[in-house]
Amino acid sequence: MGEPEVKVVRSSIGGGPRGTGEPRSVTGVQLAQGIGVQPARGFWADAWAQVVRRNTARFALAWLTLVAALAVLSPLIANGHPILLRELDADGSVVAVTSPMLRNLSAGDVLLVVGGLAGIGFFVMARRLSRADRLGVVLVSSVAVGLTLALTALVFSILRGHGDEGVRGWLRWGRVVLGSGLELSAGRLLIAGAIAAVCAGLAWLFLPLRRGRVAVVVPLAIVAALVASTWWVKPLQTFEYGEAVAAGRASAVYTLIPFSPSQRDVRGDLLAPGGHAGQSRRGPGREIVAGAPRHLLGTDSLGQDVLSQLLHACRLSISIGLVSTGIAVMIGTTVGATMGYFGGLIDLFLYRVVEVFMSVPVLFLLIVAAAVLPRNTYVMMAIIGCVTWTGAARFTRAEFMKLRNQDFVQSARAMGLPLRSILFRHMLPNGVTPVLVDASFAIAAAILAEATLSYLGLGPEEQPSWGRLLSDATNSVGDFVWWLAIFPGLAIFLSVLSYNLLGEALRDAIDPKLKKARV
Amino acid sequence: MTSATPPAAPADNGPLLRVRDLAVSFDNRDGPRIQAVDGVHMTVHHRQTLAVVGESGCGKSVTAMSALQLIPRPPGRYDRGRMEFASKRGPVDLVALPEARMREIRGNEIAMIFQEPMTSLNPVYTVGDQIMEAVLLHQEVSDRDAFEIALQAMKDVGIPEAERRIKGYPHQFSGGMRQRVMIAMALACHPRLLLADEPTTALDVTIQAQILELLRDLRETRDMGMMLITHDLGVVAENADVVCVMYAGRVVEYANVLELFGAPLHPYTRGLLNSIPKLGERRERLLTIREIVENEAEFKRLPGAQGGIRPWWPWHDPPADLTPHEGPAGDYHLLEVRPEHWVGVWRTRAIEGHEGRLPDLSYRKPLSEPATGAAAG
Amino acid sequence: MITYIIRRLFLMIPTVIGISFLIFMLVALSPGGVGAALRVAGGGATEATNRAVQEAYLEDRYGLDAPVIVQYVRWLGRISPIKFGARGQIMPTGERVSAPKPLAEPWTRAWLGAPLPAAPRGAEPWKAGASAEEKSIAYARASDAYAQDRAAYVAARTLYREALGPYLRSVGLSGAIRGNRVRGSMLADHTPDRASAHWAAIEAAGARMLTSYQRALASRADLAAAFAARPFPQAGVPVVPGVVSVAWPDLGMSFARGRPVGQLIAAALPVTIGINLIAFPIIYMVAIPAGIAAANRAGRLFDVVSGTFFVALWSVPTVWAGVLAVGFLANKDYLGWFPVTGLHDAGADRMTYLPSPRGDGTWSMGYLVDYLWHVCLPVLCLVYAGFAVLSKQTRAAMLDNFNADYVRTAKAKGVEARVILFAHVFRNSLLPLITMFASIFPAMLAGSVVVERIFAIPGMGSLILEAINLKDRELILANAVMIALVNIMALLLADILYAAADPRISYS
Repeated sequence: MGEPEVKVVRSSIGGGPRGTGEPRSVTGVQLAQGIGVQPARGFWADAWAQVVRRNTARFALAWLTLVAALAVLSPLIANGHPILLRELDADGSVVAVTSPMLRNLSAGDVLLVVGGLAGIGFFVMARRLSRADRLGVVLVSSVAVGLTLALTALVFSILRGHGDEGVRGWLRWGRVVLGSGLELSAGRLLIAGAIAAVCAGLAWLFLPLRRGRVAVVVPLAIVAALVASTWWVKPLQTFEYGEAVAAGRASAVYTLIPFSPSQRDVRGDLLAPGGHAGQSRRGPGREIVAGAPRHLLGTDSLGQDVLSQLLHACRLSISIGLVSTGIAVMIGTTVGATMGYFGGLIDLFLYRVVEVFMSVPVLFLLIVAAAVLPRNTYVMMAIIGCVTWTGAARFTRAEFMKLRNQDFVQSARAMGLPLRSILFRHMLPNGVTPVLVDASFAIAAAILAEATLSYLGLGPEEQPSWGRLLSDATNSVGDFVWWLAIFPGLAIFLSVLSYNLLGEALRDAIDPKLKKARV
Repeated sequence: MTSATPPAAPADNGPLLRVRDLAVSFDNRDGPRIQAVDGVHMTVHHRQTLAVVGESGCGKSVTAMSALQLIPRPPGRYDRGRMEFASKRGPVDLVALPEARMREIRGNEIAMIFQEPMTSLNPVYTVGDQIMEAVLLHQEVSDRDAFEIALQAMKDVGIPEAERRIKGYPHQFSGGMRQRVMIAMALACHPRLLLADEPTTALDVTIQAQILELLRDLRETRDMGMMLITHDLGVVAENADVVCVMYAGRVVEYANVLELFGAPLHPYTRGLLNSIPKLGERRERLLTIREIVENEAEFKRLPGAQGGIRPWWPWHDPPADLTPHEGPAGDYHLLEVRPEHWVGVWRTRAIEGHEGRLPDLSYRKPLSEPATGAAAG
Repeated sequence: MITYIIRRLFLMIPTVIGISFLIFMLVALSPGGVGAALRVAGGGATEATNRAVQEAYLEDRYGLDAPVIVQYVRWLGRISPIKFGARGQIMPTGERVSAPKPLAEPWTRAWLGAPLPAAPRGAEPWKAGASAEEKSIAYARASDAYAQDRAAYVAARTLYREALGPYLRSVGLSGAIRGNRVRGSMLADHTPDRASAHWAAIEAAGARMLTSYQRALASRADLAAAFAARPFPQAGVPVVPGVVSVAWPDLGMSFARGRPVGQLIAAALPVTIGINLIAFPIIYMVAIPAGIAAANRAGRLFDVVSGTFFVALWSVPTVWAGVLAVGFLANKDYLGWFPVTGLHDAGADRMTYLPSPRGDGTWSMGYLVDYLWHVCLPVLCLVYAGFAVLSKQTRAAMLDNFNADYVRTAKAKGVEARVILFAHVFRNSLLPLITMFASIFPAMLAGSVVVERIFAIPGMGSLILEAINLKDRELILANAVMIALVNIMALLLADILYAAADPRISYS
C-alpha cells in the first residue's frame, strides 16, 4: 500500500470539511474562523435588509410612500381650478385658453414639487455616495430647510404680536413689494438669514459628507432664507367657473377631484359621501344639479370636500412629522452630546433643563404653547420640536457617557483632532443609533400630537388637517357624522401605525439585546 | 425521593457517565446549520476528573450542557447519540430523559458550575435563598433544615462568616466568593457528578488556585465524578486524571493525563502542548499550533501511519482510501491507537477490522504524585 | 432612604420653578397677553373710559404693568410656602386676602398745586359682634371699593400720561415717558410752562387724577383698617411674628371663574386621579400577562400576532377612539349603550352608594355603578394605548432575562420551567417594568386631557383646556405646577419601588 498523499488545505477554503461546495453545516471552530458566516453588508445596510424583510414594514413603507407622493402632488390631483379653461364665444369657437390651476399654485406648492424633484434627482445622481449617505443628505437638508421656515415663522409671529410698535416695525423695514402679492423686506431677510445661518450650521454638523458640505449648505441656507422672508399675500380664491361652463361660455378640464380643500359648497354642508356639488342635505335644494361632480367622501360642516382636504392634509402630516422630529433630534443630540461629552457642571445644569421639560406631560406643554402662540404650520412644527427634544437628549447623553471613555475616542483626542471632529465624526455615528430608532416613534408621536391639537382646535388655521376634520365629527348638539370620524381617523391611524411598525422593525433589526445569539 | 446522606462509596462497577456518539447542532438563521458536536465519546468514573480541553467553539461546553439538557431547543437539536448516566435509580440516557425526570437529576445527581460567577447568580435573591432553593427542591426537609444545610454548604466551601453572609446578596460578594457560592449551591445536594464549565476562567490567578484546590478536595471527600472543562493546560495537568482533547466538535485524542502529556499522538495535541512555555527549557521561540498542524510530516508520526492510519483533521481533504460508514460522522473514528490511548482518525481501509472499544478509562492519578511538569504554567 | 427622599423633595423645587417659569414666559409672550379673552371689546367714546378702567383693573389686579420678570417673582412669592411680612387671612370663600396694596403717588403733583388729600376715613366697617358672614360681606365690599377706586385712579393716571405726552414733546422732554410710566426724576427740575397750548388738557386730566387718588386713598384706609381688625382666621403659622411665616401656597384667583384656583383644582384633581386609578390596574393586568406569554412563545404565532395587534392599538389616536366610542357606542342614533358625557346621571346625588331596590320593585343603580357605567368609555380610551408599551417592555425584559446566566444556573439546579419563569425571570423583569411606570404615568395624565374633553368630564384636563381657552394665567400656572408635582411624585414613587425591588440599589 503506497503512502497516501496528505494534501494540506489552508483554512481559507470555502467548502466544508468533507468535500467541497457550500457547506451543509459548519462547526463552531469553523464559524470562529469565518466559514459559514454571511458576508458583512455594513451596519445600516444590514439593518435595512432586515427591516424590508418584514411584511408589516413593507406595508408601512408603501403607505408612507403613498402619503408622501400625495403630499407633493395633491394640488395636481385635487384642485377646484380647472387645468384648462377654454373661453368660448357665442358660436362656440375658442377665444382664449388659460390654466387657472397653474396660476393659482402657491409658492409652497412650487417649492415642494421643485424640492421633491431636487431631492429625488440628488438621490439618483449622486452615485458616489452610499445609499444611506444620500438618504441622510436629503433628510438633513429638508429638515434644515423646514427648521429655518419653522423658526422664522415662530420669530416673526412673536415680533408681530409684540407690544412695542418699534419692534413690530423691524419686520417692515426696507420693504419691497413685488408683483403678484409677493412682498420682501430687508428686516425680514436679515432675521431669516440669521436663523438660516444657525440652521445651516447645525445641518453642516449632521451632514454625512466628507467634502462638499459647504456646497450643499450655503445654497440651501440662501434659498431657505429667501423663502422664509417673503410674505405671500394670497389672492382671494374664487371658484366661479361653474356658471360660465353651465352657460356655455366656457369649457373646463378639471383634475381628478375637482374641489379645492378651501372651496365651500354654500348649501352643501355635511353632505354624505356621494352627494353632488350644489346639492343641499335638507330643504328644497335636495334635487341633484345635472352634471355636478360628486363629493366622494362627503363634505364637512363648512361644505368643503372631505376627500380633497384629506389629500391636501397629507402635506401637513408628512412635514410635521419629519420637521418637528428633525428639530427635536438636532436639538436633542446637540444638547445630549454636550452633556455626555463634557459632564460635570455643564451636564448638571443642562440635565436640570431636561428635567424641567420632563416634569409635565409633553401634551400639556404642547397645548399651552399652541394656545398662546399663533396658529400656523411652521409654529406648530417648532413647538412640537422644541418640546419633545428631551428624549433624544437623554439617549445621546447616555451613549456619549459610555463612548467618552472608550479607546477610539481617547485615541482621537490623543491625535489632536478638533472637538467637532471627535464629537460628530467619531462619537455621533456610534451614539446615534438609539436616537434614530426612537426617531421613527417620535415622528408617530408628532403626528398624533398634531392631530390631537387640531382636534382641540389649537391646530394650524390656514391648512387642512386630519385632526380638524375629525373634530368636526361630533359637535356640542350631540350629532355624530360618521364620514368625518372614519376617514380622517383612519388616515391618522395608518400613518401613525406605519411609523410605529417601521420603528419596531428597525429596533428589532438593530437592538443588540434582541439579536443576542441564544446558543 | 433522595436523602441528604451521601451515597456509600461505590464499588467501581462501571462508569458514572458514558457519552457515545453525541451529536448536537444549532439552527443558524442566515447560514448553514452549526454542527457544534459531532460524534463525541467519553466516560467519567467515580472520584475521577475528566478534563475536556479545546479551543473556543470546539463543542466542549455544549457537551457538558447536553448532559443536563440545558441546550435551548430550538435552535439546538440532539441529532443522535447517548449519554448514559448511572443514576441512583438505575441507568438512564440523559439526552432522552423527559423533562420531569431530568429535573430530578439536575442539581441533585448532576450539578454544574459555570464560568461567569458574576452573572450566574440571581441578583435579586440572597445567596442563602438560592442555595436553599436547590436543597428544598431535591430533599424533603423543612425550611429550617434547608437553611442549616445551606449554611453548612457555605462553610464547606470555605466562605468565612457564613452565618452573616448567607443573608447577603450576590453583588456584595467578590468574584472568588461568588464562585464559592456557586460551588456550595452545586454541592448542597451531594451530586454524584459535577460538571465544571471553565470554573476559574473569569477569576484571577490566586483565586483560581484556591477554587481548583477546593474542587479537588471536594471530589475526594464527596466521592464525585467531575467533568472539568477548560482551555488551560496547566489546570489540566494539575487536576485531571483523564484528558479528552476536542476539536471542531469531535474528540481528537483521549488518554490519561500522564500518557497524554508524555506522548501526545495527534498533531493538534502536540501543537497545544508545544505552544506552552516550559520551566527550565531554553528555546528560540515557541512553535504555534498552526506551524505544527500545517506540517505534513506531523501527520505521519502516528503509530500505524505506515499502514495508512491518518489523524482526522477537518482542514484536510479526506484520504483517498476513505471507506466511510453510512450516515453522519461516518468518515471519522476514535481509534485506540495504543492501549488506553485513543486518537481521532479518518475511517480509512487500514482501520477496518481493528476498530476496538471506545474510550473508557477508570484511571485515577495517585494523589501524591506531582504533575508531569509538562505544562506547569 | 429617608434622607434620599428628602433630598429628592428638595430637588423638586428648582424643577417646579423651572416649569412654572417656562409656562409663565409662554403665557406672557402670548400675543394679546394674559386675560385677553376677558377684555371687553366695545366702541364709542363713553365706553373708552370704562374700558380704560376695566383694563386698569385687570392690569392692576394681576400686576400686568410690571415687567414680566417682576410679575413672575411676585407670583413665586404667592405660591411660596414661606411668606414675608404680615400674614394673610382666609375669607370664608377660601380666597386669601393680604394687606391692601400700597398706592403709588401721582406723577408731577408739584405742577398741579392741588391740595393734599383729605384725611383717610379708616373707621372699622362693622359693629362689634358682627357674624363672620357680615364681616365677610363688609370686607368684600371694602375690598371691592378699593379695587374700583384704585382702577379708576390707574385709568385716570393713564389719561393724564396721555395728556402729558404732547406737552413734553413740545418742550423737548419726550424721553420722560417710556412705555407706560413717567420718569418723575427727569421732570423734577422742570418748571412747567403754564402758557402752553397743551396746558389746559394737562390741568383737567391732572385734577381728575388727583380726585381719584384722594378717593382711592380713602378707600384704601378703610380696607387697611378692616384688614387690621383681623376679621378672618390668619393663614399659616408665624415663624418670626410679623416678619416670616409659613403657609399653604396661595394659588390665586381664577380670572374666569372668580373662584380660588385651589378650590377648582381640589375639585378636579380627584376626578382625574380616580379615572387613572381605575385605568392603571387594567393596563398592568392585561399587558403583563400578554407580555409574559409573548416572551414565552417568542417568535411564534402568538408573539407576532399579539405584538402587531398591540402596536396597532397603540397607533390608534386617542381622539379617534374617543370620537368613535362617543359616536357609535354612546350616541342614541347608533348603539347608545353608554352615557355620552359626564361622570354621573342627573340624579346621582340622591342615589344610594350601592345598588338598592326602589319602592316600586325596580332597582336603582346606585352611585357606584352609575359612576362605573359612566367611566367605562373614558377608561377604555385611556388604557388601550398603554397595553402596547407595557407588554412590549415586559416581553423585552423577559427575553433579556431568559438569556441571563442565572436562569441557566436555576435550570441546572433542577428548578421547574414555570418557577423559573415567575420566580427568576419575571422577578428580575419587574425592574424595567417599574421604570416604565415613569413613562406611562405622564402619558396617562396627558391622555386624560383629551379623554376628559371628549367625554366632558370635569377633571384636570377640562380645567386645563378651559384655562387655556380663556388665557386664565393663574389657572394655567397652578395646573402646570400641580401636574408637575403629581408627576414628579409618581416618578419618586417609581424610584422608591425600584429600590425596594432591586437589592443592588441603595439610596443611602
